[in-house]
Amino acid sequence: MSLTHLNTRGEAHMVDVADKAETRREARASGYITMQPATLALLSAGGLPKGDVLATARIAGIQAAKRTHELIPLCHMLALSKVSIDFEINETESRVEATATCRLSGRTGVEMEALTAVSVACLTLYDMCKAVDKDMIIGEIKLEAKTGGKSGDYYREPERDSPIVTGEYRSGEVTVGLRQDTPCVHVKCLAELRERLGINELDVPFESLKEQTVAGLKAILRERDERFFQLDDSRVLCAVNQVMGSDGTPLTADDEVAFFPPVTGG
Amino acid sequence: MIDVQHAAFDPGFEQTKLLQGRQDIGAIVSFTGLVRDFNEKPDILGMTLEHYPGMTESALNAIVEEAESRWPLQGVRVIHRVGYLAPGDPIVLVLVASAHRRAAFEACDFIMDYLKTRAPFWKKEHTASGHHWVAERASDQRDARRWGES
Repeated sequence: MSLTHLNTRGEAHMVDVADKAETRREARASGYITMQPATLALLSAGGLPKGDVLATARIAGIQAAKRTHELIPLCHMLALSKVSIDFEINETESRVEATATCRLSGRTGVEMEALTAVSVACLTLYDMCKAVDKDMIIGEIKLEAKTGGKSGDYYREPERDSPIVTGEYRSGEVTVGLRQDTPCVHVKCLAELRERLGINELDVPFESLKEQTVAGLKAILRERDERFFQLDDSRVLCAVNQVMGSDGTPLTADDEVAFFPPVTGG
Repeated sequence: MIDVQHAAFDPGFEQTKLLQGRQDIGAIVSFTGLVRDFNEKPDILGMTLEHYPGMTESALNAIVEEAESRWPLQGVRVIHRVGYLAPGDPIVLVLVASAHRRAAFEACDFIMDYLKTRAPFWKKEHTASGHHWVAERASDQRDARRWGES
């Protein structure tokens, strides 16, 4: 990988895109501005001194996308075919979330346009609300997805919760992995369940099971981390040694137990 | 008889291979499943198929054996792809050969119904607005129940 905006002498230059093929390109970027709950309430109710905040910020974002080449030195001037800005009011986090989508059929990507649009939309939100709230924070401006072009499609991986603690441990004792000779039950989580729990595989010492069944295994997992409560969802299926099982299926040392959502092949 | 693979397949080639040197087969039914560009959401750019290696093969073998116990079949071929697939790509092939058409039609239908509800495959769709895991369908469960308990 190299930086395309640097030439062989390491100097900044604009990339010549004349010979690149025209393809349909799209980019989506997001960001948010966190504010006091009271400010958010005023914004939703239309009670701020500068008027309709979201409509103004939307126009600002669209204008910014069109003028990206004036702001970012080595960006090309592009004839965008579409710019859209969407806002979502997130009351739980007390913030306005902005998403910008830019599209064109052309020779260069539009991620800078989408990122600029989101940035300026958030700045405009700040300007519109600053009379009542100066503590607002603009955060996490990022590219979400980009399609078309030679470098291929990009999608940001969804953020995961912190991984579940899986190691065997006793108070005052830190171990890395399990001792080789400990008989274990090997647990796997598959597909959507793996992503939701943030866990792929873990070993549970067989002797720790009070009841030597799948239900007993679930009980031990729940003791380790409350997120394993999700295994009790009636949609979650399980297989013991690759054969469908249920809570009552007996376990022995070295069994492989997989938990997974309903299947969707074919 | 069954294969789980990343590579594409050619239904015509598979059919020719299955029929090679056989004169006892009176009917062959071929089903190919393809990736649509719309499903739960529009504008599907592609999908990733995950499976549970080992269990997938044994589940598919069990489904084929179940079909063979219910109908007089003279040949079955199942190919299911995994990994990244684009709209229009073939996902699954089921070929069923029998002396008579009824058994071949029914067994092919049966294998697909059971495959969709019992074989450990999961689809994650990629769209312009993000990725999501495909949810199971109640209609697939209903379809599978048509064949009674096994």
